[in-house]
Amino acid sequence: MLRLVVESCPSGLVMVDSSGAIVLVNAETERLFGYPREELLGRSVDVLVPERFRGGHPGHRAQYASEPTTRAMGVGRDLFGLRRDGSEFPVEIGLNPIRMPDGDYVLSVIVDITERKLAEKRFHLAVESCPSGMVMVDEQGEILLVNAETERMFGYARGELVGQRIELLVPQRYREGHPEHRKQFAQCPARRAMGAGRNLYGLRKDGSEFPVEIGLNPIPTDTGIVTLSVIVDISERQRIDDALANHARELQRSNEDLEQFAYVASHDLQEPLRMVASYTQLLADRYEGQLDAKADKYIHYAVEGARRMQQLVGDLLAYSRVGTQGKRPQPTDIAATVRATIHAHGAALQECGGTIDVGPLPTIDADPAQMAQLFQNLIGNALKFRGEDPPRIRIEASREGAMWHFSVADNGIGIEQQYWERIFQVFQRLHERGRFEGNGIGLAISKKIVERHGGHIWLESAEGVGTTFHFTLPAAWQEYAR
Amino acid sequence: MNPIRVLLVEDNPADADLTRETLETGKLFLELSVVADGIAAMDFLHGRGKHIGQPRPDLILLDLNLPRKPGREVLIEIKGDPDLRSIPIVILTSSDAERDIVQSYALGANCYITKPVDLRAFQSIVRTLEGFWLTIVKLPPTLGRFNPASEGSP
Repeated sequence: MLRLVVESCPSGLVMVDSSGAIVLVNAETERLFGYPREELLGRSVDVLVPERFRGGHPGHRAQYASEPTTRAMGVGRDLFGLRRDGSEFPVEIGLNPIRMPDGDYVLSVIVDITERKLAEKRFHLAVESCPSGMVMVDEQGEILLVNAETERMFGYARGELVGQRIELLVPQRYREGHPEHRKQFAQCPARRAMGAGRNLYGLRKDGSEFPVEIGLNPIPTDTGIVTLSVIVDISERQRIDDALANHARELQRSNEDLEQFAYVASHDLQEPLRMVASYTQLLADRYEGQLDAKADKYIHYAVEGARRMQQLVGDLLAYSRVGTQGKRPQPTDIAATVRATIHAHGAALQECGGTIDVGPLPTIDADPAQMAQLFQNLIGNALKFRGEDPPRIRIEASREGAMWHFSVADNGIGIEQQYWERIFQVFQRLHERGRFEGNGIGLAISKKIVERHGGHIWLESAEGVGTTFHFTLPAAWQEYAR
Repeated sequence: MNPIRVLLVEDNPADADLTRETLETGKLFLELSVVADGIAAMDFLHGRGKHIGQPRPDLILLDLNLPRKPGREVLIEIKGDPDLRSIPIVILTSSDAERDIVQSYALGANCYITKPVDLRAFQSIVRTLEGFWLTIVKLPPTLGRFNPASEGSP
């Protein structure tokens, strides 16, 4: 019975007498060390100890014999077993003194810890090769473990960190408050980022600081909760963020400058242009027919040129005003805006027999004057570029997430696909002058209005069938693009 | 019949000529004087310097952007002067800024006109001005020549 228990024990059992000779092994011992028991019985237990430890082993045995207690062998040392084939394996060994009438024996319980060692090694490898700093801290704030990246990041050797308070790595100005933060974390330990919303800094050995991001992972253990902090140096990211923010600011500033420039230029050009236009006109009024035919023709060219330039400068001014003179968004009833625009086109509609069909339209946060201008431009366009048939225009809106999607569809002459984008640029006209009025500013202004409101505008068209302008606008004021 | 006297305060000679041209083609018997800055305007109204003995105008056309003394200050001085404040002042400027419009009326301007860029429109406005201020409206009787005794009064 007892023999059966010994045999089926899942640990290796080896009993030696006071001289160190093996007197008993079980099946697991045979399996672990690769010896049949006949080869072990009677031999010194040193045969199972690797060569390099063998010299010290009798001494250890003698020491144990002087104070025999049930304890683990070689506390703090790594123990290895030596197989018959010369290979080694890590073991954990428990020692139990057995006193018998014929003398003192020691029963060793041997467990193969290859798997555990492997797991430990993997864990160690993972921690060491982790590209983030890892610092394990106990409840008192004492550093238990750091990895290679932590050494690199903070400039300390690990021996200088383990056993120290974690506050060593915290900049002086935050150090005082840190234990309190730790206490709070201990009261409610949960995986989370440290100092949400605050900028965190690490303190290097040389006294310099660097921005960090820290994740906290509480790990319950027998001796209380330890915290594994994962530390990432975000200097580079912050540098990129700063550069991006700078870039964005710069871009916005240069956009504003450009807009201001366009405004000032077009505004200040008006004055001298008024003079040129007025005086050429006055010349024409006074002296037409009094000079020769060539003079009349030249005056006519000058008058026309000045008039045209006035239109362009005026249009440019209107375009730049979209950005510089826009009003803050307010709830705007688009249905009412469209009604008013249609009313304003009443005469033109009647004249060409056109109809405008309007679906349900929402109230959105927008600049009311610019909304009126937008629909005015699109409806005006639809009427201007009509085909042979009386114009039919359909205005609709549908909700798409945070945006409203509007469409203005006509049955006009249509636009070739190659122009679908270009048509939104300033002063792009698709038709020779004289066929249609205008300078090609309307759609550029429309695009600018839509984009200033945080939306997009585009079109679909088929030549001879019609054009649909689409645009999106945010339903509620969030953040204006400008 | 005495001519109707109009003082144009305008620093741009081309602009001044344009107004003159347009006024002169009208049917009214006008006497147009032109000064090019705010100080000259005040000298003219007070009959000072080279404007000694200058008769008081019946109507002032005042630009806002003027050298030396801006139109706004000219407006304040005239409307603060009991001898001059009865002269109607028409602000004739290229500015269409809301701030300028509101301020001008607050300071006592009688009307505010933004010069249109188009000559035809400008001509039509000058005609309308002429028709309204110089024929329809009854203006206070001209005080005749400037009276030096009033100089220095608030």
